[in-house]
Amino acid sequence: MSERESANGGWEVLPRRRFLSSTAWTAGAVATGLGSWVVPAKWASAADPIKVGIATDLTGAIGIAGNACANTARMMVEDINAAGGVIGRPLELYIEDTASNESVAVNNVRKLVQRHRVDVVLGGITSSMRNAIKDVIVNRGRTLYIYPQLYEGRECTPYLFCTGPTPAQQCDALIPWLMADGAKRFAFPSANYIWPHRLNEYARKVVEANGGEVVFEEYYPLDQIEYSATVSKIMNENIDIVFFTVIPPGLAPFVKQVYEAGYQQRGGRLSCVYYDENLLNFHPPHEMEGLVSCLDYFRAISDGGEHQFSADLHARYDAKFPDGPGFAAGSAATGIYRGLKMWEAAVNEAGNLERDDVAAAIDHAKIENGPGGGSEMVPGTYHCRMNMYIAVCKSGRYEIAQQSDGMVEPGECA
Amino acid sequence: MPIDAAFDIISFTSFVVLVVLGLGVIASMMGIFNLGHGDFVLLGAYTVFVFDELGLPIWLGMTVAPFAVALVGLVLERTVIRRFYAAPVIAMLGTYAIGVVIRETVRGLIGGLYHAIPEPLPGMIDIGEISISKWRLTVILITILVVLVSYLLLRRTTLGLKIRASLENPALARSAAISTGQIYALTFAFGCGLAGLAGALMVPAFSLSADLGVRFLIQAFLAIMLGGIGTFEGPIGGAALIGASTAAFPWVMNPILADIMVFVLAIVAIRLRPTGLFTKRRL
Repeated sequence: MSERESANGGWEVLPRRRFLSSTAWTAGAVATGLGSWVVPAKWASAADPIKVGIATDLTGAIGIAGNACANTARMMVEDINAAGGVIGRPLELYIEDTASNESVAVNNVRKLVQRHRVDVVLGGITSSMRNAIKDVIVNRGRTLYIYPQLYEGRECTPYLFCTGPTPAQQCDALIPWLMADGAKRFAFPSANYIWPHRLNEYARKVVEANGGEVVFEEYYPLDQIEYSATVSKIMNENIDIVFFTVIPPGLAPFVKQVYEAGYQQRGGRLSCVYYDENLLNFHPPHEMEGLVSCLDYFRAISDGGEHQFSADLHARYDAKFPDGPGFAAGSAATGIYRGLKMWEAAVNEAGNLERDDVAAAIDHAKIENGPGGGSEMVPGTYHCRMNMYIAVCKSGRYEIAQQSDGMVEPGECA
Repeated sequence: MPIDAAFDIISFTSFVVLVVLGLGVIASMMGIFNLGHGDFVLLGAYTVFVFDELGLPIWLGMTVAPFAVALVGLVLERTVIRRFYAAPVIAMLGTYAIGVVIRETVRGLIGGLYHAIPEPLPGMIDIGEISISKWRLTVILITILVVLVSYLLLRRTTLGLKIRASLENPALARSAAISTGQIYALTFAFGCGLAGLAGALMVPAFSLSADLGVRFLIQAFLAIMLGGIGTFEGPIGGAALIGASTAAFPWVMNPILADIMVFVLAIVAIRLRPTGLFTKRRL
């Protein structure tokens, strides 16, 4: 380091003109709101578009799910506008990044609700995110909120509609299916936050009701990446089924360590209810072989040919967004689809955008078709009935093992 | 059971030591806390991913990764980092910013997705009842080798002498015709190269995601505080303690408590030996 540099602390003096121009640029960017993505309606005569807000994690640790949600919304708004919009008005999409960070999210969501005055907000992936932004949207913002992700249940807030699967929908059929061949000993290794705690509480009841036993239920710090102690317990306790809710970054080392200990080789099974196609790259295929998930949609349904609607939808998404995250249920993309379609149906029924009128109409909204089939809101409960599918990983793909007999009840807020 | 526990603990400790090695070299030899270190680790992992995508052998990617990351480090040192030497606090912010840029760029390049990278040496060695991952065993051996080579380089070569001279007394080193600017650049590149190697070796075990390196950063800093700055063996010793206790505590207590205990014990140790546990002599 030279004398000159240390004399002014290593910084060159910023020329005044450059300082002024950069300040002006920054001020301009702040004033015009750099950072929201606005997809304006393409109708030239559109004087009064309806504003749809998407608040999701475009960046940060769960950006993968957030981008799947945003892309789904982009595709759907385009389709809805091409078909004539809602109550004769086009939709305008406002996308805000919640950045996998609650404090950033609250500010950005406030921007959606207070500055852009959107008519509905869809989004939030994690439960902590939903809890952070729901007050800004529903109470202070007096706006409708649709939460699209699978979650732990018990969210019974007026004007907040949940369009993802609940513990009842994910566990009631899955756990008896896992136990069908006589497997009885479960382990619940879990990340330490609200979703695993409440999901396990529910899953434990189902396991015990079916004559099984939860040998251990253990919680780890969210960023734990070393699981040798847990894996040793799984092996020594002769666990039949590891029903886990570990999340990244611990997920890859956890599954690898379980595999390397020889758990699958001696006949053990892995099950995790957020596994979708976006997680297929996460492990080498041999480590995921036989893993069981339960969600409202898998690509295998489209590939099977019996669900032409799902297949067309998925093909359109893939053509539009060939790179990046795919259209997958565990990433909340299917929840976004259901949510936006139900809201569209509700606004058309209400004929206006008054919150109470639209909420009253969503309360009994039905959609004939969607990814995985139709779905309907259970009146008075803010949750949806939907078809559910149990899928097993085979050579890096999911195969459908069982399909629900019609729509499954959410079992919430009754 | 005690053998597989011991193996797992040593294996995890190796990863922590590898990460801390580069961070420790830069902190001890240059007095710069590189908050972007985790993202240089990520760059190493990303290099391996690129090789895998191109259909080239994984081991080739792992060989190239440290040099590629060292080159990036060298360019950054020449253009950005050298302006920070007079202001260590600003250097922390500056390296943090560089780290964020690297992380978010890689996140964009990999589409925000997770990617599994296969081990160059897949499979397990069965010893009686227990099975040991071949790759983890390889990492343990490479770690021992890298630590030895780095130690000899810094302690037994002329270059190592110049590096230590530049740390001890920059003005005197300059008057003895040592180009401290060049030495700093080389040291920084060397530290970055070690980070790249750590990332390349760990990515098969942990999968590639943009946040791969961040997880190790806090532990690495704790290791350096615990071991002490200014020596070669300080950070390594700290890393061994932090790595081993992180992996060992969950065997005997609730994992949440174990996570906290590592930090509590480290804070107690730092309180008792504020200059670090391993700071008897300078390198």
